Amino acid sequence: MIDERIKADLIRIVGSQNYTDNLIDMVSYSYDASEHRARPSCAVWVETTAQVSEVMKLANREKVPVTPRGAGTGLSGLSVPAHAGVVMDLTRMNRILELRIEDRLVVVQPGLVYADLEKALAPHGFFFPPDPSSGKVCTMGGTVGTNAGGVKGAKYGTTRDYVLGLEVVLADGRIMRTGGKTIKNVSGYDLTRLFVASEGTLGVVTEIALKINPKPTATTTAMATFDDLEDAGRAVAEVMRSGILPSVLEILGRETILAINQNTDLNLPEVEALLLAETDGYTKEETDFQMGKVVEVFRRNNPGMVKLAASQEEAAQLWQARKSAYAVLARIKSHFVLEDVTVPIGRVPALLKGIQAIAKKHSIQIATFGHAGDGNLHPQILYDGYDPQQVRSMEAASDELFRLSIELEGTLTGEHGIGLSKAAFMTLEHDAVSLEMMRTIKRAFDPNNILNPGKMALDAA
Amino acid sequence: MEAKYDFERRYREQILRCSRCGFCQAVCPVYGATLRPGLNARGKMLLLKEVMDGRIDLSGELIETLFQCTTCASCTHNCPSGVEVPEIVKVARKDMVDIGSCHPAFTGMHDVLLHHGNIYAEDEAEDFGREKKARARYVFFAGCVGLYRETEATQAALGVLDKLGVDYTLIEEACCSGVLEDVGFPMNDALVRTNIERILATGAEAVITGCPYCARTLNGKTQYAPLRAKGVVIMHIAQFLKDYDLGVHTDKKVTYHDPCDLGRHCGIYEEPRQTIRRLAPGFVELPHHHADALCCGAGGGVRGAYAKNSIDMARRRLKEVEEAGAEVVLTECNSCVHNLGNAKLRKQKFTICTTTQFIHDLMEEAE
Amino acid sequence: MEFESYNMPDELYYEPNHYWVRQEGDLLTMGMDDFARKLAGQIVFVQLPEEGKAIKLGKKFASVESGKWLGKVYAPVNGEIAGVNEELETNPGLINEDCYGAGWMYKIKPDDPAEVQNLLHGTEAVQKWLVEEIAKFAKGA
Repeated sequence: MIDERIKADLIRIVGSQNYTDNLIDMVSYSYDASEHRARPSCAVWVETTAQVSEVMKLANREKVPVTPRGAGTGLSGLSVPAHAGVVMDLTRMNRILELRIEDRLVVVQPGLVYADLEKALAPHGFFFPPDPSSGKVCTMGGTVGTNAGGVKGAKYGTTRDYVLGLEVVLADGRIMRTGGKTIKNVSGYDLTRLFVASEGTLGVVTEIALKINPKPTATTTAMATFDDLEDAGRAVAEVMRSGILPSVLEILGRETILAINQNTDLNLPEVEALLLAETDGYTKEETDFQMGKVVEVFRRNNPGMVKLAASQEEAAQLWQARKSAYAVLARIKSHFVLEDVTVPIGRVPALLKGIQAIAKKHSIQIATFGHAGDGNLHPQILYDGYDPQQVRSMEAASDELFRLSIELEGTLTGEHGIGLSKAAFMTLEHDAVSLEMMRTIKRAFDPNNILNPGKMALDAA
Repeated sequence: MEAKYDFERRYREQILRCSRCGFCQAVCPVYGATLRPGLNARGKMLLLKEVMDGRIDLSGELIETLFQCTTCASCTHNCPSGVEVPEIVKVARKDMVDIGSCHPAFTGMHDVLLHHGNIYAEDEAEDFGREKKARARYVFFAGCVGLYRETEATQAALGVLDKLGVDYTLIEEACCSGVLEDVGFPMNDALVRTNIERILATGAEAVITGCPYCARTLNGKTQYAPLRAKGVVIMHIAQFLKDYDLGVHTDKKVTYHDPCDLGRHCGIYEEPRQTIRRLAPGFVELPHHHADALCCGAGGGVRGAYAKNSIDMARRRLKEVEEAGAEVVLTECNSCVHNLGNAKLRKQKFTICTTTQFIHDLMEEAE
Repeated sequence: MEFESYNMPDELYYEPNHYWVRQEGDLLTMGMDDFARKLAGQIVFVQLPEEGKAIKLGKKFASVESGKWLGKVYAPVNGEIAGVNEELETNPGLINEDCYGAGWMYKIKPDDPAEVQNLLHGTEAVQKWLVEEIAKFAKGA
């Protein structure tokens, strides 16, 4: 696929030190954080929009697939080069181009690590609210490509609510801009929104203009336990009716709690569900008042225990449980699949119960935690990937999980994207017309299907 | 399938535990300096997993990543699954050496130590103007970097011990040899025996060393068990000095760089700070400190094998010194002093030295 | 002149530790010669002393390093440092790329410009010296 001529052309564009087909790079670029794997033919490190454009022109002419990539921490195979070809590593385009506090604006390159953006905004008392859990390593191009969320989603929304404009290189190398730098803009079609969550299939994002928020300085944290999933679920729904929006409302299911207790000395009460809430604002009086409403809701729904953190240290302790979930669960079995099915908030109890039933039916371990506040749960299916029986159980359980979510008026994915992992289930959620329109749009932007092909079920007829 | 290599026999379960989350990219110093995922901890685990699954072979093509790891363990410290990448890499290096795929910088290492007894193939060590005593309470073990590169630091450490009236002696040192196991070779038993014999001959109750790596080796390797079995205590000079009031002070803004071998690997964070705080009220921490300290880039053989990247890693650490606004960077590892010193730019006006050297200079000034 | 694959330009003066010296007006330029450059391998660090620092004939005034090798740089004449090649700070590999041109290391203001005549100079003398050096280093290591 990449013959000597194409290789020479790529080297001419990026320089020989920015081209690789070494084994050690090819293997790395075959993976992201999902269970998928596909070997690329080569990889390039790009440093300017012009280089991205030249590479795309070449690839389009030669019909060579290109898979853009940031930190490679995606959970559904978005940056796995399913059809081989070129991996375009954008991590070297990692600068902050503009920071204009009075315009509530920051313009960044796609390779900028989320944590570095946070670090640059903090001294100004500002922050970028969507805070993916992989923030220490993930890059902004990826957060745009997946419309990344985070624990603050319920109150602050997700990445798409903050993208004001983009610079994008299309599959044929043409460069275009969408949106702008204004907070409000209804000029022309909202192409910005089209690119956000398009998983690198419609264009390569080379510049991102983001809206930023002043960072609230006070928080109050509380935790409640529930012996009945329905009670916990009802508590979550009722918080929405309480008149305030907590900045965080997370849930940990029983399996997760047990795993945490087995692997740490946090000694959590072994209940059906644990809710962790946080309210934020500018004064402690304000955040305490808001939390008061939340705690009232907790108390009305048969909690086992309600604990209000009296200090920063205690709050940090309460947070430990939620933060250690992923790590602990990752150690239990040789493999796992982390789903992110999302349902309307009122359906959270039904989803929780349904997950338990699926686990039992397929004799497989599913530990759940997640962003109860916006209905986005993370059932983590734990299994021995070297045992064909367990693999089959995992697949069957996943299948039922997606169906359950759709049944409950939910979606296949709240934030991780479709990628490869959920491509087969797109027909469950989207009607034939909608899927056809998606494919039409894909063909308009990328007639030769070279940009991250094989993803999102866009290839199927 | 029968395990073909040692790394798989010993670490299969851990390698499988790597969930590919990529969080190590946030802290791996090699990745930080190169932005090349093939060199990151995750990249190494993915390669070894493919070797275990029979998809690729262990071969010379893997040298560039398997021999480019400072073994700083920042990845392990941050890994949600607790994968001990440096330990796995060291065993994989041994497998690589066994199949004849060793990094050229180290194929000679074994021979160099055989013929010269030190890692630099130097013929003459400094004697620091001190006679070696037949008997003493302590042995001061300088280590190769202290004997052949950072001789000023060693001279200063001895000066401080003199001023404190410590009954110590130097010995005719051989390389502690710890480095060999890090780069895929067996330890040099002859050199180990030499060191043990010479230390025991002095009747010393303890060995004080300025090199955290030698401290780890003498304290941790089974080859040095005969030394420990005789009740000889091995300590780093930071541990020795921590309770002394050295009677010197400075107004300078001082910071401390935790060496990987002293900090993350031995858990020694507070003793050096105890001493520094006593003499420098203007002490500030670097942005990444204690167990989160950034590796200087010299360890794991990387300074010898990938010197340019090694210095780039050191430069990243020095940027933090600028951020902290420190005038003096203190550390307790000659290797760190050496690499950071090489990396320092002329426009960066802070000084870098061991704590003991700083103390020595203050003591001299006071006189 | 080219000798046994080593390039040693005739117009230069050579300090016995394999550094070359070129007269440039009132100043001398100094760098590493091809022989040493090849022996040392990839240079990763060059010590660049402050301008104005006094140097004494035969005494070490700086050091140069590759991965594990450390080389001492001795003053070829009495004088002071008049300038350093700042490029070497971030690109020490210039010495490997172009040791007689872009990889120059130091500019020296000699106390007595005539002192440079004490260094090795001229095709015959340099060639004789090189023969000895090649033999010396072939035996070693």
